[in-house]
This record gives sequence, structure tokens and C-alpha cells, in this order.
Amino acid sequence: MKKIIALMKKDIKLLFRDKMAVFFTFVFPLIFAFIFGSIFSGDSGGSKALKVAVVDLDQTEQSLQFVKSIEEADEFTVTLATEEQAKDLVRRGKHVAYFILPEGFGEDYKGIFTGSPPEVLVGIDPSRTAEAGYLEGSLMKLGTDRFEQAFSNPAAMTERLDASIAQVQESDDIPAEWKSLLGDYLPKMKELTQQEMGGDEDFSFGGDGEANPMMPLKVTKQEEVVQRSGPKNAFSITIPQGVIWAIMGCVIGFAISLVQEKTLGTMNRLIVAPISRTQIVAGKALGCFTAQIAVVALLFLVAYFILGVRFNFPKLVLAAVASGVCFVGLMMFFASLAKTERSVAGITNAFLLMMGMVGGAMIPLFVMPGWMQAISNFSPVKWAIVAFEGAIWRNFSYAEMMTPVLILVSIGVVAFILGTRMVKLEEA
Amino acid sequence: MIQVESLNKRFGNIHAVRDVSLEIHPGQIFGLLGPNGAGKSTSISMMTGLIDADSGSVSLSGLKPQSKEARHKIGLIPQSIALYEELTATDNLSFFASLYDIPKSQLQSRMDWALDFVGLKDRATDRVSGFSGGMKRRLNLAASLLHDPDFIFMDEPTAGVDPQSRNKLFDNVLELKELGKTIIYTTHYMEEAQKLCDQVGIIDHGELLALGTVGELLSQHGGDTLISISSDQGVKEFKSSDVSNDLIQELQASNKVYDISVNRPDLEAVFLNLTGRQLRD
Ligand SMILES: Nc1ncnc2c1ncn2[C@@H]1O[C@H](COP(=O)(O)OP(=O)(O)OP(=O)(O)O)[C@@H](O)[C@H]1O
Ligand SMILES: [Mg+2]
Repeated sequence: MKKIIALMKKDIKLLFRDKMAVFFTFVFPLIFAFIFGSIFSGDSGGSKALKVAVVDLDQTEQSLQFVKSIEEADEFTVTLATEEQAKDLVRRGKHVAYFILPEGFGEDYKGIFTGSPPEVLVGIDPSRTAEAGYLEGSLMKLGTDRFEQAFSNPAAMTERLDASIAQVQESDDIPAEWKSLLGDYLPKMKELTQQEMGGDEDFSFGGDGEANPMMPLKVTKQEEVVQRSGPKNAFSITIPQGVIWAIMGCVIGFAISLVQEKTLGTMNRLIVAPISRTQIVAGKALGCFTAQIAVVALLFLVAYFILGVRFNFPKLVLAAVASGVCFVGLMMFFASLAKTERSVAGITNAFLLMMGMVGGAMIPLFVMPGWMQAISNFSPVKWAIVAFEGAIWRNFSYAEMMTPVLILVSIGVVAFILGTRMVKLEEA
Repeated sequence: MIQVESLNKRFGNIHAVRDVSLEIHPGQIFGLLGPNGAGKSTSISMMTGLIDADSGSVSLSGLKPQSKEARHKIGLIPQSIALYEELTATDNLSFFASLYDIPKSQLQSRMDWALDFVGLKDRATDRVSGFSGGMKRRLNLAASLLHDPDFIFMDEPTAGVDPQSRNKLFDNVLELKELGKTIIYTTHYMEEAQKLCDQVGIIDHGELLALGTVGELLSQHGGDTLISISSDQGVKEFKSSDVSNDLIQELQASNKVYDISVNRPDLEAVFLNLTGRQLRD
């Protein structure tokens, strides 16, 4: 074992001495994950960043105007929809949230001092607490417009006061004292307004916040659990892809290094030393495996601490080990096919690039057309990505993890056995 | 004692080594002399257990070269520079040392000795990629000596080396002999064989054509020493075996003798006589 570790340490050392190899194994995958992640996550943080579906069930002048103000707001991209469509969009994760303006929205919008504030139903995934808070704030800001409009436009204000006076007189549930007070007060307000109004008067009616008509809006949240068919964070897609690029770098690097031992003649030194061929092969395999685990660890550390990607750790370990086994096996297989560094690099590159393209290392699996997804089943890269995604956003159970894990391990074992059978160590 | 009995190896149509038998005594330097493609490396590969012979046997003091015990005693200096260019000299040595069961307490002193032995102590922490051809050759030797092997197989250790490094390597070979090592040394330079080797085997097309001490080979296959006289009578050559009256008469007949030279036979001549070809093209 000590000798196997010595073999492995030597290979890792050599890997780090090769600046190109270090770049393609450690740096390039990060750049890949970062750049593509940023491109695809254009819908976070920028302007018009929040996609919302708006359902106007009221269809009054006020509701239409409020919808317009949402559309004009900087932070939203609006899709007008029916209630069904809106819920669907949110559940499928296409939109962050939906707003429903229920019937009666316009009435409440007009009544500034009476009744309850206009209600907006907000449907959002309960896990999106940050977005929910932000949405509520934005809506409230839009809602305050109704006060500004009222106070800056005396005619409209007069009209609204009339409406309020009428409401007060008609209503049954306002206590008598209040009725008389308001009956006194509101006409005076009307007079004042007609003389001239300032927009920044502060009115307080006290009472409980819920029905406080001076609240700009009443925002009612509805939980819409997103059925996760796609990840929330674009880096959840590009990190597994970056991992694949890194693993490919390891595979090519170690396949070349194995062939190089033969062409340089260092393999002859290993063979005449008192170590078995099994130990020589095990040293290479362990080196390749360790390098892979190291790049996975690095990428996921960056993903966690810098890109905010969350994942299940034990399942990540499972995915990393399974893909490690798979690609160590493939490394051995490729190394056994070629006699020169150039040919082994060529074969390995060609195969891995093809497997990578088909398997989702470039185009995310879940946006692939059906026929391509079918083809991708033949690519070990696909199963590695599925395993890593299972640990990140696919929320796989352990049973579900087993499918990619077993496929990866089987490919790895078969390739490894074939590779070690075919490889001729002594050939100079 | 290295005993080799009728070794054979074929690569497809090429009969790389045919029926080679040798016996090398402890503490001797045995030279395997032959042109490119003669089968020197293939012979060494079979003697060190790198490749299996098609037939025949090798015994290193009674051990099969593939056995673990024998491997601790084999030091192979490959024909190519078998080093990791991107690692330092020390890193290379400590890696190769780690393949042997060298006690930790001795490891450092073995590495120091090996570096010192080949005169690379002051370049220990430099990467091999920056070494000259001669330095690489010397480190190639050092890397094979860490475990203090008894049987040292050197496959053209002086290929592509400047005269200084070459002389250093010659010294190293002789020092190793003094340490009691048994050495097999392949080369296609007859001067090297002549200078270093106690026994020489001449190999061509996989066949061992002659075997013996340098003196034996010269006297058996070298032909006569030629004495040539250049005088006003022209240039005439005489074989040393019939340096009698003819030569004396020739000298007496000449008014002026410009030059007398003695051409002793060398291994080149031995090779020429055995194969009808020059050793080097
Ligand atoms: N692995 C191999 N496959 C096929 N042919 C081989 C192989 N190794 C050696 N040969 C052939 O066997 C013959 C002997 O080769 P070998 O390397 O033993 O010669 P050599 O005496 O060491 O020559 P050189 O001085 O060039 O090193 C050559 O014709 C060579 O082409
Ligand atoms: Mg050779």
C-alpha cells in the first residue's frame, strides 16, 4: 500500500507541475461553470429580473391601472394570465410568483379611508422567502400610489371622499360613534380638499392593521410549491457540467501519463522494481481517482461559498465516488488502446468530447429534446451529471441515486477490467 | 553469478535474440557489443525480467529475475532517460527509492550517496528538464543504484553524452566494479568495451558471435598486427607474424623511410572479421 501511495503521490505531483493540465483540470471548469452560470442566470439581480404572472379578476379602471403600474415597474417582467395559467407557471418554476387582483379590488382601491385596503393574492414557493419579502415590498410601494394619486388630484380626491361618505352611511358594521365622527369629518375633508389639498397629509385611523384602510395594500400570500423540474440556481446546472470538464481533464491527463511511463521508459523501472503490476495499475488508478475527488471538492466548495449552490453532502459524496470509479475505468481503457501520448490524447479527447456533448456537459440535459435525451443514455457523462444533479437540485432519494450510481460503477468496472487486461506495461 | 542459457526471443518475423548463452562471474564487467538492432536491449530485458523469453533461462545467483528477491538485487539503467522531467532530481530519486524496501533511516543517506556518486549533489533540487544530456544520463544511473543492487544492467549508458560526462560515467562503472558489483554493459562503442570490460560478447542479428576477454577476442578474431612502412619505395604492409626477412630487406632497400606504423587489431577489426561489416554505419 505504501508503494501504491508513493506511485499516486508522484502522479499528483506531476499533474501539478504541468501548468496546462492544472489549468484544464482546475481552472477551466470553474471558468466554464462561472461564465455559463452567469449567462443563464441573467434572471437574477438585474432589472426586470422577477418574472411574474398577473391575473386581473376585477377588470376595473383601478385594477387595470394597477396592472399597468406593475408592468411599468423596474423589477418585474409581467405575463398576463388566467388564474390557471398563472398557478401553472409558478408551479413549474417558470415564473417566480403570480399576483391575483380579486374582484372588488377597484372598489377597495378607491376607498381610501374606509373599508379594507385592496387585496392582492401573491402565489409563491414557500422556500423563496427572500423573493417573497422583496415582492411584498415592491407591491406596497406600487400600492402607495393610490394615496399620492388621491392627494395630488383634488377632483379624484373629492370623488373618493364622496364614495367614502356613501360607504360610511351605507355600512352596517361601522360603530355608531365612528359613523357620526366620520359623518362629520369626511364632509369637512371634502371642503378642505376642494379649497386645496397637500399630498403629504398624514392620516391615522388607528384600528388593527389588518383592516386598516390606510395600508396601501393587503398582500395575502398563497403557497405554491414549485414542482421542481428545473433548478433554481443556474450554477446548479453549470457546476456539474464544470465537474465533468474537470474529470475529463483528469482522465486525459492520467491516460497520457500512463502511456508516457512506457514511452519514457520509467515503466521499465517500475516493472523491474519489487512491486507487482497490480500495484502499478492501482497507483495510477488511485492517482486519477484522487485527482477527480479533489476537483469535485474544489468546484463544490466554490459552488457553495461563492455561487450559493446548495446540495446534499452524502449524496454528493456518492456521486463523486461513483463517477470517480467510472472515469478511472475509462482512463485505464483509453490508456490501453494507444501506444503514444498523441494517440492516447486524441482518442480520449474525441471520445470524451462526444460523450460530453451528448451527455449534457454543454447543453443541460433537461432542455434537450427528447430524442437527444434518449441518445444521452449511452453516455457515461450523462449519468455522472444526473448523479451530481441528484445531489443538488433533483432531490433524488437514495433509491433514485442508485440508478446513475450503479450505471457509473458498472461502466467503470467493465472498462477497468478491459483496460488492465489489454494494457501492455512493458512495451517501450 | 549470472547464467544465461540459450535465450530466444522473436518479435513477429524478427528473431531478435537467438540461442544466447552466457556466464558472468561476480565482480566482472561484461560488455555486450553490437550494432543497432543487434538484440542487446532485448537480451537485457530478458535478463532483468522485463520481458519473458520465448525459450531459455536466466539465473541471477540461482534466482529467477522475476522473483521478488531478485528484483531487490537488479539495478537496470534503461537505454532511454527513464526519469520524470518535471520533477527535481531529489523527487525522482525519492520516488524510485520508495519502490524498494529501503529502511527509512537509510533513505536519505542512500540518496545523498547516489547524487554524490554521479556528481549531481549541487543540482539536487533542480528539475531534470533543465539538465544537460550528460547530467540526465548520470541521474539515470543514480536512480538505479539507490537500493544497492548486486547486478547492474547498463544499456548504452553513454549515448548522447559529452566526453566529460562520459569519463565520469566510466569512473562510475569502475567504482561499481570495485564495490563488487556484477555489471553488464551494452554499447556499440568498441573503445568502451575495450577500456572497461573483463569479458566481451559480440552480438549481431540476435546471435552471439564470439565471447571472451578482449585479449582472447583480439587474438582469435582480430587478425594480425600490421606494420606498414612508408618509404621512397612506396607504402608496404607486413603482418607481424612474418616480420622477418621481408621487412628487413624492405628497410635496407629504402633510402628514406618516412613513417613506420603499427596497426594492432581492435574490436572493430574483430567485428569486421566476424560479420564482414563495420560496427558503426
Ligand atoms: N517490442 C518490439 N517489437 C518488435 N520488434 C522489436 C521490439 N523490440 C525490439 N525489436 C526488434 O528486435 C531487434 C533487436 O532490438 P534491440 O532493441 O534488442 O536492439 P539493440 O541491440 O538494443 O539496438 P540499439 O543499439 O539500437 O539499442 C530489432 O530488430 C528491433 O527492431
Ligand atoms: Mg538497445
